[in-house]
Amino acid sequence: MDDQGCPRCKTTKYRNPSLKLMVNVCGHTLCENCVDMLFVRGSGNCVQCDTPLRKSNFRLQLFEDPAIDKEVEIRKRVLKIYNKRDFDFSSLREYNDYLEQVEEIVYNLTNNVDVERTKQIMEQYQRENRDVIQRNKVKLTREQEELEEILLLEQQDTEQRRLETLQEEQRQLQAKRKNKQALLDELERSQLPASILLAQHKDRAAQLETQIEKQKQSVKPTTIFSTGIPKGQTVSLAPVIRVEEVLYKYQPINVETYGPPLPELEQLDRLGYLNHVRTATPQDLAGGYTSELACHRALQDAFSGLFTSLV
Amino acid sequence: MKLNIEGLLVYFPYDYIYPEQYSYMLELKRTLDAKGHGVLEMPSGTGKTISLLSLIVAYQKAYPLEVTKLIYCSRTVPEIEKVVEELRKLMEFYTKETGEKNNFLALALSSRKNLCIHPEILHANIVVYSYHYLLDPKIADLVSKELAKKSVVVFDEAHNIDNVCIDSMSVNITRRTLDRCQTNVDTLQNTIQRIKETDAAKLREEYRRLVEGLKEANVARETDIYLSNPVLPDEVLQEAIPGSIRTAEHFVGFLKRFLEYLKARLRIHHVVQESSPQFLKDIYEKVCIDRKPLRFCAERLRSLLRTLEIADIADFSPITLISHFATLVSTYSKGFTIIIEPFEDKTPTIANPVLHFSCMDPSIAIKPVFERFQSVVITSGTLSPLDIYPRILDFRPVTMASFTMTLARTCLCPLIVGRGNDQVAMSSKFETREDFAVIRNYGNLLLEMSAIVPDGIVAFFTSYVYMENIVASWYEQGILENIQRNKLIFIETPDAAETSMALEKYQEACENGRGAILLSVARGKVSEGIDFVHHFGRAVIMFGVPYVYTQSRILKARLEYLRDQFQIRENDFLTFDAMRHAAQCVGRAIRGKTDYGLMIFADKRYARADKRGKLPRWIQEHISDGSLNLTIDETVQLSKHFLRQMAQPFRREDQLGLSLLTLEQLQSEEMLEKISQIAQQA
Repeated sequence: MDDQGCPRCKTTKYRNPSLKLMVNVCGHTLCENCVDMLFVRGSGNCVQCDTPLRKSNFRLQLFEDPAIDKEVEIRKRVLKIYNKRDFDFSSLREYNDYLEQVEEIVYNLTNNVDVERTKQIMEQYQRENRDVIQRNKVKLTREQEELEEILLLEQQDTEQRRLETLQEEQRQLQAKRKNKQALLDELERSQLPASILLAQHKDRAAQLETQIEKQKQSVKPTTIFSTGIPKGQTVSLAPVIRVEEVLYKYQPINVETYGPPLPELEQLDRLGYLNHVRTATPQDLAGGYTSELACHRALQDAFSGLFTSLV
Repeated sequence: MKLNIEGLLVYFPYDYIYPEQYSYMLELKRTLDAKGHGVLEMPSGTGKTISLLSLIVAYQKAYPLEVTKLIYCSRTVPEIEKVVEELRKLMEFYTKETGEKNNFLALALSSRKNLCIHPEILHANIVVYSYHYLLDPKIADLVSKELAKKSVVVFDEAHNIDNVCIDSMSVNITRRTLDRCQTNVDTLQNTIQRIKETDAAKLREEYRRLVEGLKEANVARETDIYLSNPVLPDEVLQEAIPGSIRTAEHFVGFLKRFLEYLKARLRIHHVVQESSPQFLKDIYEKVCIDRKPLRFCAERLRSLLRTLEIADIADFSPITLISHFATLVSTYSKGFTIIIEPFEDKTPTIANPVLHFSCMDPSIAIKPVFERFQSVVITSGTLSPLDIYPRILDFRPVTMASFTMTLARTCLCPLIVGRGNDQVAMSSKFETREDFAVIRNYGNLLLEMSAIVPDGIVAFFTSYVYMENIVASWYEQGILENIQRNKLIFIETPDAAETSMALEKYQEACENGRGAILLSVARGKVSEGIDFVHHFGRAVIMFGVPYVYTQSRILKARLEYLRDQFQIRENDFLTFDAMRHAAQCVGRAIRGKTDYGLMIFADKRYARADKRGKLPRWIQEHISDGSLNLTIDETVQLSKHFLRQMAQPFRREDQLGLSLLTLEQLQSEEMLEKISQIAQQA
């Protein structure tokens, strides 16, 4: 990459180390300075292939071969539209055929073969499958978020485990040191003969060793099931005692309007109130909303403030 | 002689047998009876090979339906040749004893000279080849596909088997590889262009087959069970190739994108470490390459190369390597790590970017072997501590046993030298490497030993750099001159031709009585393959503890993985690895019961229990408490005494009844009692 030069000004990386190469939709490269130069007089054409270009279409080159940059751009655009997944198809064969179709489109657009027709096919596909595209887009972002969460959790887990093992080792070293110190202290203070103290010390050291060995062997037991329920929870199999209580009975609310009574929800249609309310669309009906509800609410509002009781 | 081992008639082609050979065969028979896996440690030079062969051949003859094949895997070609020699002797013995013609067929596959003859492998009873034919997924597919389930697999000298597994699944990619790959891809593109103009039918035929999802028609197999490919799990193997890489042009475009992505990744200025899933995520974001097509990359490439009828496959090895890498990275989400370094640690100024895709889990490569075959036996002279192998290779053996050598006279003398005559502690610890006193003490040790040990001494250092430093210091201090008055000095170098020349001259010097010292490195060619029998190696000196380079990032990643997965402490594993190499090195000197040798461990750290405990049992039992922290003078005294003792004539009759048995002696009650105590179960 370092020995590539800008085709216009012929500078290369070693002459100007901060040189950045940009690539455009036609697949040819230009260095940053030349891009600016080209567009100082409005719009320009590519130096090598003379296609009309826009300044905003220039992107920083990532790959050594500018053709690959161009292809990746086109591919990303196409995949935004053709984003069906393998469970959208009934058989593996169909999915593979679909994939091949996508490849054909990308290939044609990259190599400028049948560009117009390919664009038409794309637009038609877009129109036909608008909702599928939308759905899959949403699904994709959700999956990516989940993946990020999982990765984050994993990282935190490994960090924690590392810290724990370090702490464990520290603790063991400290225990050993304490043991040695205890022996020295005892030799100073205690009245027992030295051989007994030494024997005791050896015992204690051996005990520590076995403890460490056991800890090494034991796999750190997991404390919770994968659903989050802690293990070892004693589940008593004794039957739960039945508590008999008074059953709740629903009492509908009675709003006192001190005036003429409110028409019932079911009568609104017959009494013609609904003609003054917007009818519910099918989408609204799906959620359980009916135009009676809005009407009834409005009537309640209207009736409730009209009369007051002076009692 | 003809033996009876728990009811099985075994033909043993020698008149005398060692008790531990009998014990070994007993354990082996029990493993085969239980139809399980086994880990057996038997000291080097005690006739392990012939015991294995005679028992398994006898088992095959007695139960031809239980054990149909013996697959003997060895490390190097000389070892394979040795095995074939022993097998020949065994077969001659059989013909002599039973008087009938033997219809056993044994096949040895060693190098390109002896190519595999595919159908014959199905009829052979015994197959002898190298580990890689069974473990490396790229090769196992071609060679070991047809091996039946009811076979016994033996891995001999298997102490390094975890490293072999890891190396077979690891890939290193440099800038040069990618450049050569680019040329390959361009060639492919041009060839496709050309074929389209001249003979498009071939490409169409391939396309049709891929659309139909047919696998390539293979040679008709007698048994349709085969060694599963660890690179691709079974269900995926049966799937059709994804539609995005069906046509040849699309596939070449796919390869180009992948290659460009790798080139971009190598253009970094600091070290990057990531896991396989992270790598795949990044590759999808940058070049929109999915997991699925990557998995089928290797297969698709193979099919394309076959269709284009490329004659010179070797030219395309870079692109094959890249496709192998693609398949591995997309198949396994755990157990691998990717480390990209802008330069090598040892040469920080030279820009040499390299991508290390390293396997951290050796069980991945060997899992199909354990699952496919009913009995797998791992055996070597240095497998301590035994329980680590089942843990890192992830299998459950029915037998784990370690055997000792029964000796009529103690022919090994392990000594741990921890101090010099000036009481300065000797060690190859990193902090003390430059210490003048330590280097002088090491030189002193070698000088004193060269004066009292006859014929040849072999000295092992921990690394080439360390050895060069020390030898340079010795030269300045004048120690080398003094040593040369006693013996000649030869040195091993990284160059193979120089080393074999040095070895040849060393042997000549030992033969004609001048005496010589060979300075070599613990992980080099000499320590792995060369035996120093009798006068070629009367003393082996281990300078320091041969730890591997601990600052390497790949090693650190592997240690972390072992700690997380298998709860093996980092320290434990490093010590285990160092001690197995040390034991391998000192084991070079003893190759038989009449051979004798000094084993000198020149580092104070060997006296510690955690290191001493990791030496094989047959060395450990000869280390007395008094020989744990000797000075150089004490070492010289003990060595003189030992050598004079060993120089006394030792006849075969002295061994009879103790370490060498005839058939009658073997069958006596007390002998069987003693034999049962030889094997120590781990």
